[in-house]
Amino acid sequence: MSQLSQSVPVLNVLIIDDNSARVAAVQNALTGTAYNIQHLASTKSSLLKEVESSNADIIILDMESPSRDTIESLSVISNYNPKPVVMFSTQDNPALLQESISAGVSSYIAGQIDPKRVKFILDVAVARFNEFQELKQELRDTKEKLSSRKWVDQAKALLIEKQGITEQEAYTAIRKMAMENGEKMEVVAKNLVSMAKLLAGGR
Amino acid sequence: MSSLSTLTPTALLNQIEKPQLDLGIVALTDSAPIIMAQQMGLFAKWGLDVQLHMQNSWATLRDKLHTEKLDAVQMLAPMPMASSMGLLGPAFPLLTAFNLSMNGNAITLSQPLMHEIKTLNHGNMPALPLNATWLADIIQQRNHSLSDKPLTFAVVYPYSCHHYQLRDWLESAGIDVERDVNIVIIPPTQMTKALADNTIDGFCVGAPWNTKAVRDGIGCTVITSCDIWNESPEKVLAVTQTWQCANPNTFLALIAALQEACEWLAFPPNRFETAICMSQPEYLNEKLENVAPALLDSCLTSLDNSPREISAYLRFYTHQANYPTLAQGHALLVDMQRAGQIPQSLSDLQLKQWVERIYRPDLYQQMRQIQQQAASM
Repeated sequence: MSQLSQSVPVLNVLIIDDNSARVAAVQNALTGTAYNIQHLASTKSSLLKEVESSNADIIILDMESPSRDTIESLSVISNYNPKPVVMFSTQDNPALLQESISAGVSSYIAGQIDPKRVKFILDVAVARFNEFQELKQELRDTKEKLSSRKWVDQAKALLIEKQGITEQEAYTAIRKMAMENGEKMEVVAKNLVSMAKLLAGGR
Repeated sequence: MSSLSTLTPTALLNQIEKPQLDLGIVALTDSAPIIMAQQMGLFAKWGLDVQLHMQNSWATLRDKLHTEKLDAVQMLAPMPMASSMGLLGPAFPLLTAFNLSMNGNAITLSQPLMHEIKTLNHGNMPALPLNATWLADIIQQRNHSLSDKPLTFAVVYPYSCHHYQLRDWLESAGIDVERDVNIVIIPPTQMTKALADNTIDGFCVGAPWNTKAVRDGIGCTVITSCDIWNESPEKVLAVTQTWQCANPNTFLALIAALQEACEWLAFPPNRFETAICMSQPEYLNEKLENVAPALLDSCLTSLDNSPREISAYLRFYTHQANYPTLAQGHALLVDMQRAGQIPQSLSDLQLKQWVERIYRPDLYQQMRQIQQQAASM
């Protein structure tokens, strides 16, 4: 595992936890490794903003924390750059831990803080997370393509209605405008739609 | 399956594979079927010794189900889909055969945002349910003055009806959810605090959190999920497919007990008793006046405005509420696809195939047959 950590540059670890003894134990366990600890207590109301503005590469929090859904979903719902998440668990159940770790996105640190295990779990969490991100990127690409098509379709419909031209002519017109202005078709289409809304007097 | 459908209630009780069950819930008003089943000894009646485990987050409830720390859980209706399809990690095939509740959500806006809307409406409260075009107007104003931050709304979980209902409401006024607003996830217990300190401008949640925001004077409940969607399963009972295969009779006994609790909840006078029970510290730990209204079909709007009566604000039994239909499952997958959570490339046929694996109305029907025999004995 030492090889894996050497290949990784310094990684900022954000710990969201009220248990200062546990935070200290993790801090000790990671001294002299590539992991650099930042600390944030879980009771802060502005947790979301602070997490978003922090430059954390990996987040550690308690499995029973009510903030778990917030942290986990940062990657699903906002434009926030997703991070691997590791959790403290009071359950020292090897089967549960084994399965969670191989499950990838979330990993667990169980029971007592064993210095060797903390670093190992962080290493595995980062590696698994990167694998999963590649899969997700494929989904995102598809989504972008679709959103762009939605705009072009709207703009085409508008031109067909207002200019009385055919669908093919509308498409050619948008494409020509995009090429002349050196812009994406999606951008041109968006502009056309908002311009039409403006001229129509609001929404 | 045909051999099971002829199982008598006595035979079922004699063949419970796993009498001791750990059941996970997130304490909300619509946990009532599970909590009241426990309170009234209905699980015991069906040969089960159930321990309830309150969970602080949906993610942890889900992980404990996946790793069999919990036998069965109350889930947000879209969650079995998310787990089975592996949307947040590797896939864990789940199934549901029982809707625990329908409806029950509402959208509450902060006082400053309501003030902005009233100003646009010449100082008057606009008609409720609120038309989302008021928000479209505010978004347009804010776009012109670049200094204002975009409107931020919170829901409790990305794979939730709250999330899709909020999106549908905003989109009904032509608001582009991806571009014009922020949607964030905040745990229900911290919602009202976030609304009070203006971290968010509004939220879509279930009971009792809308009522609490109104009573605390920090928000105005402007529209309910009943106004946005016409009936939809909100919470379901979920188990892993592996667990159900290993414990088929236990599963039927479990949903039979829940069915009886739901039937009991349909009788209006029982709703008040439920509210008293649910407000206790071990469950919601909330004042009775915050818990009771939604259970009694009343939607508080704001401190200076009269409440709205919402028919079947929380539906637990009537109109075959507990019967999970394939159409309901399909509608949820379509919502998830529209929200960009599952690939657009999945065809309608593929969505239907997913639903058939996750939604098991056949198991619900088996339970009903056994229950009807028990009633006639």
